[in-house]
Amino acid sequence: MNATHVFKLWVMGLCGVATLAFTPALDITPAFAHGERSQEPFLRMRTVNWYDTEWVGKSTKVNDVTELRGKFHLSEDWPRAVVKPNRTFLNIGSPSSVFLRLSSKINGTPMFVAGPMEIGRDYEYVVVLKARLPGHHHIHPMFAVKDAGPIAGPGGWMDITGKYEDFTNPIKTLTGETFDSETMGTATGIMWHLFWAAVAIFWVGFFMIRPMYLVRARVLAAYGEEILLDPIDRKVGTAVLIFVLVVVVVGYLAADARHPVSVPLQAGETKVKPMPVKPNPFVVEVTHAEYDVPGRALRMVLHATNNGTEPVTIGEFTTAGIRFTNKMGATKLDPNYPAELVAPAGLTMDNEAPILPGQTVDIKIESKDVLWEVQRLVDILHDPDQRFAGLLMSWTEKGERLINPIWAPVLPVFTRLGA
Amino acid sequence: MFRTDEIIKASKLPPEGVAMSRHIDYIYFIPILFVTIVGTFHMHFDLLAGDWDFWIDWKDRQWWPIVTPITAITFCAALQYYNWVNYRQPFGATITILALLAGKWVTIVAAWWWWSNYPYNFVMPSTLLPSAIVLDIVLLLTRNWTLTAVIGAWMFAALFYPTNWAIFAYSHTPLVVDGTLLSWADYMGFAYIRTGTPEYIRMIEVGSLRTFGGHSTMISSFFAAFASSLMYILWWQFGKFFCTSYFYLTDDRQRTTKVHDVFAYATLAHGDKAKIGGKA
Repeated sequence: MNATHVFKLWVMGLCGVATLAFTPALDITPAFAHGERSQEPFLRMRTVNWYDTEWVGKSTKVNDVTELRGKFHLSEDWPRAVVKPNRTFLNIGSPSSVFLRLSSKINGTPMFVAGPMEIGRDYEYVVVLKARLPGHHHIHPMFAVKDAGPIAGPGGWMDITGKYEDFTNPIKTLTGETFDSETMGTATGIMWHLFWAAVAIFWVGFFMIRPMYLVRARVLAAYGEEILLDPIDRKVGTAVLIFVLVVVVVGYLAADARHPVSVPLQAGETKVKPMPVKPNPFVVEVTHAEYDVPGRALRMVLHATNNGTEPVTIGEFTTAGIRFTNKMGATKLDPNYPAELVAPAGLTMDNEAPILPGQTVDIKIESKDVLWEVQRLVDILHDPDQRFAGLLMSWTEKGERLINPIWAPVLPVFTRLGA
Repeated sequence: MFRTDEIIKASKLPPEGVAMSRHIDYIYFIPILFVTIVGTFHMHFDLLAGDWDFWIDWKDRQWWPIVTPITAITFCAALQYYNWVNYRQPFGATITILALLAGKWVTIVAAWWWWSNYPYNFVMPSTLLPSAIVLDIVLLLTRNWTLTAVIGAWMFAALFYPTNWAIFAYSHTPLVVDGTLLSWADYMGFAYIRTGTPEYIRMIEVGSLRTFGGHSTMISSFFAAFASSLMYILWWQFGKFFCTSYFYLTDDRQRTTKVHDVFAYATLAHGDKAKIGGKA
């Protein structure tokens, strides 16, 4: 190794150290999301179509209770690449357990364990949450499908105020005792771990106080094992063996006496009935769809028929938790819905007039916003299966909302000339 | 009380050599051997049996008492080979499990509590220390690894459930939430949100072992004992493979001999050392 080589190594090493040193100085802001945008668009658009998501109580004190609730539709255009939702679990996407989940119900059924869901049907969920860790947290509903993974819903901010030290969660068991989930069993567990560690250290220490390795290896090689097997080792070993067995048996019996009533872990399957199918007189089919890459717009041609008795007006297209609305749809928006997930003027149509009863029309509709890029949904163009799915929201004159799941293949438009 | 003087005398080491050997003992045993076991075995164990050990709602009657001892006895057997065959030291299994638990508790405090804010009771690990001590003592008393595989390994697995029942019995206390019967462990698993670990991930209470008259724990422990015995034999042989030292000696007539007595290496003349190959 010559001097030049050594110099180069030093320079490289110093660069590394400087990088490490300056990194915290330049940027130590915490990450405030869970990588939901990195989920492939086909997962977010064509599996679970979330709607009516509500983060109740944007600010909650430690120990107070709040809710995350909403609805979702399982898309008819479920991708071939994703395992069908035969075993699913409604989860919460949060930075650790900042909330404690007190209850989770889908269509009124408690969802402690996973269960199957039906494609093409709608479900309503309510998750009751108890504030635990103070902070500014990004919370998602999350739909986990066995063998496919978690599918994140829209994320909203929820604040928790107060001090963690004040948090308690006492629960009464069927045996009449009250357990606190934060502390129950901790002291007993640590006590047993320390006790057995002490016995083990005694056992190893009993041999550590004498020459351990080199001396014994030489004697073993030269004279065999007899001289090394000290009679006191066998005596102490026998005593420790009896002691250990007695303590294990006594510990088992004592715990059994202390907690005589026990049940095995419950590992069944939740059976949830989907929401009843609501009659929808408005029939919509996508006859053509294209994504305009430079224009950041999804354009569709809808073939729509109004079989009802009232005029119907289209107001919103939602997919992957992102909402594109026109002027009418914007008036229906929940003001608490995260603004970063809404394009309030992102939906335009070539004919904004209501669709009259009995009328069939072809409508050119465009959902256009930088959100396609920001939310990385434009990555749909890199899929081997270039399709989209979402929900079209329309309203009758009397204000009744009609929801139409829509889906279609998407053709890319890569240049402005193509548009 | 001990035969220490006799053993030191038999080693034929000068006093300074004995003193040096003690320094080597301390330097080798704590910073090298112990930390190496923590690093290697902790990762190995967590990859195979980690979830059953991390989460309270994975500690079922069926898979937990099967997976944990079978996974844990592996390094115990290999380390027993190393410590017993080379030094007649009967603490290979105990030091292995002590190291595993040291790694576990570092993880619990640093990763699960400090970083992820899960309470200790939710991520309390099981202990295999009584099992390991018994395994070591059976080897010491029988001086025979085959008998240790039959008696010690069976006790290693059989002791696992009763040992840990003292820690986790409370977690099987029943309660009712939203009209649903749960064990306390189920409730903990539900209440403490794990974004990346939905309920269906749990591998618990599934399989035909549940069909044997409802005595799942006994049957699981029996099966674990049998499998641990086989695993012990396999990993004792791994220990043998990785701990066997030898070198090749080529004599003046160009005959090459495989020599297993590595201490003979020290007695070779400098010229002879230059001729040898192999691992020594």
